[in-house]
Amino acid sequence: MSQDIATIRVTRYRPEKDSKPFVQEYKVPYRRDMVVLDALNYIKSQIDGSLTYRWSCRMGVCGSCGASVDGKPKLTCESFLHEFKGRTITVEPMPNFPVIKDLVVDMEDFMEKLVKIKPWIIREKESPVEEGEYKQSAKELERYSQFSSCINCMLCYAACPIYGLNEKFLGPAATALAYRYIDDSRDQGKDVRFPIVHEMEGAWECTLVGECSVVCPKGVDPMLAIQRTKILGATNAVKSLLMPRGGR
Amino acid sequence: MGDTKQYPEIRKRLTPGWWTHNRRYANYMVREWTSLFVALYSLLIIYGLSLWFNGSETDFLNFLKNPAIIGFSIVALFFTMYHAVTWFYLLGAVAPVKIGRSHTKPWQALILNLVLLVIISYVAIWIAILR
Repeated sequence: MSQDIATIRVTRYRPEKDSKPFVQEYKVPYRRDMVVLDALNYIKSQIDGSLTYRWSCRMGVCGSCGASVDGKPKLTCESFLHEFKGRTITVEPMPNFPVIKDLVVDMEDFMEKLVKIKPWIIREKESPVEEGEYKQSAKELERYSQFSSCINCMLCYAACPIYGLNEKFLGPAATALAYRYIDDSRDQGKDVRFPIVHEMEGAWECTLVGECSVVCPKGVDPMLAIQRTKILGATNAVKSLLMPRGGR
Repeated sequence: MGDTKQYPEIRKRLTPGWWTHNRRYANYMVREWTSLFVALYSLLIIYGLSLWFNGSETDFLNFLKNPAIIGFSIVALFFTMYHAVTWFYLLGAVAPVKIGRSHTKPWQALILNLVLLVIISYVAIWIAILR
């Protein structure tokens, strides 16, 4: 079977040697079923072992292989090489994040935000195990289920210019995950999460660019979650104003 | 973690022209800019109405007949329409209505809101002028 050759230009940064990033070009033979991550693996094993990047599952589940492919935030394991036939493919680290080395970005800020929104079910009082699980109808599940598909790949942050301009912004994935719990009928942590998602750099910082929802590889719509968070917050504020003692 | 980093990290900052690199970013920026025209037009109308309510109907009409105001109104109309269309579309994207098993699409909200805009505008014109 004949093989095509892909030209890949990878933005590299070796902090122990370089003061600034540079572009390195590689030629990679490929078959139709190969993706950009396969090309990076080929480069690392056959051409240049110093190339550094994250990856794990190779099947769009772990969310660790995100990069800017051809200028767009993508999972490299879901970007087929044949789609760029005849063109040079640029692979850069995800924008809006500090770069540690080559394509590896610093995830610390996102991880802190993820923990901050308390991504677990909060109960006012935990029921004993003997009482069984907290039940939920299919309709109640449907309200938030798409937001629970997030794989924390951070592509939405790479696509969000608001985050690019202000890294304090809670951002798409963290807000979507907060909303996932806020709208979960089993959760009782609204009073804990509301102040977090409605602080100055919370949901209200979003000005509806919408690119977060476009780039999400799992079909999550963070823009929708953020706007729903705003609606809930505004409704709650009006309720507390009209009924200060029982408006919540 | 900050103290344990051995080597400096680099961060590529957004440049002033960041929105020119992607069509959707450009659309977003144009939508944001058009709000300036919507705000300016609102201020002009508030000024005109203040003339009207202070009994200077002629001044109000002369104000509206000013070529600069007519020119600005035409420009503002186009920008306001762009603003309205993009916001109506977004309204459908962020607040889809569930009908049966499916949700409404953004373009359906856009059409519905445009139809409502035409009807409400006609009713307002009818009450103010044609009646």
